[in-house]
Amino acid sequence: MRSRLLTRGLLVALLILGALAMVFPFVWTLITSLTSGAGLSATPSLIPEDPSLDAYFTLFGTTNFGRAVLNSVGLAVIITFLQVATSALAAYGFARFDFPGKRVMFAVYLATMMIPIQVLIVPLFTQMRDMGLINSYWGVILPSTASAFGVFLLRQAIATVPREFDEAATIDGAGRVRIFTTIVLPLIKPALATFAVFGFMSSWNSFLWPLIVLRADGLKTLPVALASLQGQHATQWDVLMAGSVISILPMLALYVFAQKYVVQGATGSGLK
Amino acid sequence: MRSLSRIGIGIVASALALTACATEPASEGSPNGSTDSADPVTITYSNFISDNGNEDNLATIIEAFNNEYPYITVEVETLPYADYFTTLQIDVAAGTGADVFDIEYANYPAFQSLGLLAPLEGVDTSVYRGDIAEAYSTNGTMHALPTSFSAVVMYYNATLFDEAGIAYPDGTWTWDEVYAAAETLTDADAGVWGLYQPISFYEYYKALAQAGGQFLNADGTAVAFNSPEGVAAAEWLIRKSGDVMPTEAQGAGTPDFDSGLWADGKLGMWVTGIWNFGVAADSSFDWDIVVEPGKARAASAVFSNAVAVAASSEHKEAAQLFAEFLTSSQTMVDVRLGSGWELPAISNDAQLAAYLDQTSPANRQAVFDSLNGIALPPVIKDGQAQMQDIISEQLGEAAAGRITVDQALSNAEAAINSLLG
Amino acid sequence: MTARLASAPASAPARARRRRHIATAYLFLAPSAIPLAAFVLYPMFGAARNSLFQWNLISDPVWVGLGNYGELFTDSATLRAFGNTVLYIVGTVPLVFIGGLMLALALNRAIKGRNLLRGIYFLPVITSWIAVAIVWRWLLNPSVGVVNNVLATIGIEGPGWWTDPQWSLPSIILASAWKDLGFVMVLLLAGLQAIPQEIREAAMLDGANAWRRLRSVTLPLLSPSIFFVVIISLINGFQVFDQVYAMTGGGPAGSSDVVVLRIYTLAFRYGEAGMASALSMLLFAIVLAITLIQIKGEKRWVTYA
Repeated sequence: MRSRLLTRGLLVALLILGALAMVFPFVWTLITSLTSGAGLSATPSLIPEDPSLDAYFTLFGTTNFGRAVLNSVGLAVIITFLQVATSALAAYGFARFDFPGKRVMFAVYLATMMIPIQVLIVPLFTQMRDMGLINSYWGVILPSTASAFGVFLLRQAIATVPREFDEAATIDGAGRVRIFTTIVLPLIKPALATFAVFGFMSSWNSFLWPLIVLRADGLKTLPVALASLQGQHATQWDVLMAGSVISILPMLALYVFAQKYVVQGATGSGLK
Repeated sequence: MRSLSRIGIGIVASALALTACATEPASEGSPNGSTDSADPVTITYSNFISDNGNEDNLATIIEAFNNEYPYITVEVETLPYADYFTTLQIDVAAGTGADVFDIEYANYPAFQSLGLLAPLEGVDTSVYRGDIAEAYSTNGTMHALPTSFSAVVMYYNATLFDEAGIAYPDGTWTWDEVYAAAETLTDADAGVWGLYQPISFYEYYKALAQAGGQFLNADGTAVAFNSPEGVAAAEWLIRKSGDVMPTEAQGAGTPDFDSGLWADGKLGMWVTGIWNFGVAADSSFDWDIVVEPGKARAASAVFSNAVAVAASSEHKEAAQLFAEFLTSSQTMVDVRLGSGWELPAISNDAQLAAYLDQTSPANRQAVFDSLNGIALPPVIKDGQAQMQDIISEQLGEAAAGRITVDQALSNAEAAINSLLG
Repeated sequence: MTARLASAPASAPARARRRRHIATAYLFLAPSAIPLAAFVLYPMFGAARNSLFQWNLISDPVWVGLGNYGELFTDSATLRAFGNTVLYIVGTVPLVFIGGLMLALALNRAIKGRNLLRGIYFLPVITSWIAVAIVWRWLLNPSVGVVNNVLATIGIEGPGWWTDPQWSLPSIILASAWKDLGFVMVLLLAGLQAIPQEIREAAMLDGANAWRRLRSVTLPLLSPSIFFVVIISLINGFQVFDQVYAMTGGGPAGSSDVVVLRIYTLAFRYGEAGMASALSMLLFAIVLAITLIQIKGEKRWVTYA
């Protein structure tokens, strides 16, 4: 019994040690961001002797970072809304309608999940160029309007809603749109929340495509702005870490307040 | 590391008669006198030349431009050199490029032949140095205007030389003498290093010329650097690392590592461009410059930057006015000479003479002496960036000890020949 | 046939209703079907077409047939990017998988504060890759980074990490493992929680020790999740880009170049959009192959479990 307690204690100790290793980079980021002039010649101390917000003033005062925060928030909100809306509509269509070509269409939807954006950057670039959408928010929004993953996820959620609910409403004279908005949607709220978090995170963290399509400084999203900050302030680690803190915080807040959905959504985002 | 990343251009050696007395400055270029009647326009200017320390100098020039042309607003975007050309490449492909943008001699032919550069009619080319201006002229028409030229020289920390009790370098030194001095200066325990020279394409074609070798064969159909001279040049660049030069594990390769080491007084000799005068000016020790050491002969890298007007620009007239002002105005000359930024590519030698009167460093004559032996960079029409990357990468692999110098050169030879073929 | 006969005499209103039903269905689908067709399927054909041309994105494309594909297999830089991608996968997947499995097993037990611990291990997953890459560049800074400083206190001279061609890929692997650990943990935890408690209790009553229970009960029952995790890790591994771009830019000396970065460089730095597209098609073929393995394997694993 004693040895079991011992191994258990050892396990917990290891887990805590591991957790510290997971947290330390975050803490170190914060500390560095508060150490003015960090990284030029020496490693900052663990407890900043003279904590200052200079790096944040430099960040927002001399770069377009504030604008990048707004761009990222705006784009993530719009894209999330569009994806949830278009996915929910299609999911309802697949779950509750019978129409020619349904199986083929659903297979095609699933097939698009196998095509990563990395494969499409060149043709999508020329397509956006021909549409005049390079350097436009639309260049980011349009290709992200729909998500096959969302359709798949929400269709499964709708499948768990008993059809009798729909039928009862039909008898009451409700149309398809009313059934969709007043009966189905409220019943799949958890799935909608999970997918919304997924959409938000994917958009918030997406890098490759915004890097290519948003050229002008004032249009850049946070990850792109952060990457170019690294080019311009390569040795000003306090400023770079301040930028990292700013880009981590919103997701962290979301995580703290909606942990369950964030875990589900993020797990989904690995499956895109 | 934006140093040494400039594209070289040939300047005829004896171009400068610097003994000439200062004469009156050229009258300010104001191509078409009327400045008040036009409608307001906004043009964009994308550059790398002001990145990392010269942003305020560029702002001064633009302010002067605005005084002369109040109706033209210039929006500036400054990018680090490392990102600049990929960004420019995407922008021109997307049609989202700036009205006025920086280019280099080596990619001028490619940009020009793709029709991306607006022809600049009516430019008074006499204000520019003949050879440099010639490089940006196609079929008798300028398609870009030279902003500046600069040279790579060898900086040395005189205080460290004094402490070691050895003689300062002079323009006649060869690699062996530099290496011997570097060995004496190096004190690894104190973190003091004898020499820093990047390992890259830009250093390689120059070291190759110093060793007496050729990069391309006579008709440019194949490479010629896989030769005894080519091996010697590669070995010169590589063998210093870890010995008299810090290795990557010691921090080399992190951004601004070399300038930081220099500022800390822990670097004996530093092979870098004159654009670092401003960075070095704050040094707390004595320092000066000399012409770079040679081997078979002296050869220095000389670089030129230029600005072009986008063929797709909707404000070509205003853009050209700005391009001319940026490359030939008196304010530009004053700012560049006064701040130790790169030299203006103007033809008026008398004005450049003022450059020599300044100190820090004192031996500015070395800048002009280095023009006596210019190493021209190889330029190919398709795949310039690829060729440069191949050389830098193979040398980097060899420097890390992952392949031998011979392997590096054969790999590079095969890869570049397939680009040419 | 009978169904058809039955519906044949259907009244006009019934047919109209049917038409309306179908039209409504298409209306529900349209908002997602149109963007997917326009911005995923259509460019996919574009990529296939582009791969047959030499094209710098500016002048007219020149037909080269399958030439770009041939060039891919002789271009040493592309082959190196491919090799590095495989090395990245070989380095990351086992590390993350074993670490994630151990975490999942440990945090599936009744330990005080396990929710907090799970939350902490999951934290890096939600962070943007660019931020993580920059933070790790700082941690692994050769001269002033905290990792080398700690190593120095125990008498080890740390390597040059991302500045050293020998260590650049391991640096990226390290950062990636830190970031992905929690992701794998959560997927496997979900799998563990799906294992009926009775089965494990039965094994316990049989007197099987912990190791045996793990080997002969838990792991086999977890195999669908394990299989899934490996597949996802492989797919994500071949698509690696953000961390490489931000941590090393593929350097030094191309030592950490990967397939997607090579696509980007070919298309947008070298003006070789055709070759970039050929490489894209190859990447697509790999992702497709792995997915097909998953679809086939899933059936087998599911019946196994």
